[in-house]
Amino acid sequence: MPEVAARAEYVEELTNLEQSALGGLDLVNDALTRTLEAIEHQDIELAQLVVADDDRIDGRYLEIHQSLITLLATQSPVATDLRLIASLLHVLKNIERMGDQCVNICKVIPLSGNEPPADEEMVKRILAMGKQTRVLIAQAKRSFLERDVDQARDLVRQDDVVDNLNRECFYLALAIGDDADRREWAMTMLLTARAIERIADNAVDIGEQVAFVVTGLFREFEDASHPA
Amino acid sequence: MEGKKVSATVGSSEKKEGATESGSEQLSQTAAAAATTTTGTTATASAAGVAKTIEVRDVNLFYGDFHAVEDVNLTIQPNKVTALIGSSGCGKTTFLRSLNRMHELTPGARVEGHITLDGEDMYARGVDPVRVRRLVGMVFQQPNPFPTMSIYDNVASGLNLNAGKIKKSQRDAVVERSLRGANLWEEVKDRLDKPGLGLSGGQQQRLCIARAIAVEPEVLLMDEPCSALDPVATLAIEDLIGELKSRYTIVIVTHNMQQAARASDLTAFFNLEESGKPGRLVEVGETEMIFTNPTEKATEDYVSGRFG
Repeated sequence: MPEVAARAEYVEELTNLEQSALGGLDLVNDALTRTLEAIEHQDIELAQLVVADDDRIDGRYLEIHQSLITLLATQSPVATDLRLIASLLHVLKNIERMGDQCVNICKVIPLSGNEPPADEEMVKRILAMGKQTRVLIAQAKRSFLERDVDQARDLVRQDDVVDNLNRECFYLALAIGDDADRREWAMTMLLTARAIERIADNAVDIGEQVAFVVTGLFREFEDASHPA
Repeated sequence: MEGKKVSATVGSSEKKEGATESGSEQLSQTAAAAATTTTGTTATASAAGVAKTIEVRDVNLFYGDFHAVEDVNLTIQPNKVTALIGSSGCGKTTFLRSLNRMHELTPGARVEGHITLDGEDMYARGVDPVRVRRLVGMVFQQPNPFPTMSIYDNVASGLNLNAGKIKKSQRDAVVERSLRGANLWEEVKDRLDKPGLGLSGGQQQRLCIARAIAVEPEVLLMDEPCSALDPVATLAIEDLIGELKSRYTIVIVTHNMQQAARASDLTAFFNLEESGKPGRLVEVGETEMIFTNPTEKATEDYVSGRFG
């Protein structure tokens, strides 16, 4: 049977939409890089830029979301195509949330004030969390594009590093002392650590979508309510 | 005209075949039993449970020297809708016709292998093909009501072959029950004596379904029953298929992938590797599985529209 031209266009469009959707992860990685820099240097201007630039991530979300809905309405995708579209709709939401978490961090940076950080150890750990989360984001994207379930599953292991650092931040905050200003700073930093931890979790969620696209089965790699 | 010819053929073979006796008796008993329950709804309940399983084992179908369908093994489950999909020429219609011994009506056509209806071999020596076609009804692509007959007579045409055995009141009841069963009664009850051809395409197809179920078959085969219908009539037939499966085993051939996805419980994909070769059953499974996560790449390519 001859290849049907209209169908070939659809296949190409779906491929392009996937590239474009996952390209959102590069935007998130850029935003996170700037966010970490803003934390490290208490750079309020840079933080403002991250907040403003989040519109790009949201815009991409809306645009690709609409295109995927159009494909669903006009092309009746099934099987792998259907699973890919369903997972992209999911992943788009993950990406949008990751961008929002960067914004959340950048909004609290001014609250940490111009004073030197109350606890260098905590900042060190938050920056380490951010660096590790960037690794997760890149790996989530690569595993999706390559449909590599093993690589996707490995995100859980990578995420453990982030979780452990987050826990250490919590204990450092507990030990920060009685001074009200120091306590306020520590609280702000805990929110920051928490936001980064959420970004990494979203990367793991994307990994779960990789497994769904490949196998057709959706399973959480690790269920927070039933730890492995 | 064609319709008349068919009924004449069926009638004549009925007369000469002694083996039809059991079939006709069973038929008249069922019809009489159905006739005692006057409304369609209660008749539905009384007729429940007659659906049968079709087992297909190592079936090969031929037109003369041409090997049309190769090595089909398939269990067609009762009270389920099984859709046969695949591109033109893959043998799905040929296969469908082998399920009620219609394939052999084509000169030179033959069937190898075993097809059983609840364990009874359809092709065993001494089995009357006419009786098989009674138990396994067929609805065709183009609605084909008998053109000169009224709506009433179209539905009763199968019963009329047993004329004399069924009282008028019983026949009335069967006609009403069948038309209700085909979701057509309310639309035609005031014009039962009008010609069947005066109905819309969708109504004509439901009339054909009413005619098929009037003789209380156990299996209904449908060969692209909606391809000549508009979307509204198509949905009406699909609804009807959903209702009919509580009473019958249903097999439907369709080129409309979305129809297979919507209306069937199980989907069987037939494929032709290249023209000249026989069609094969590539994969059969729950419809949901076939359309979300098929096992075979050929199935995936077909349902996704990646032809070639």
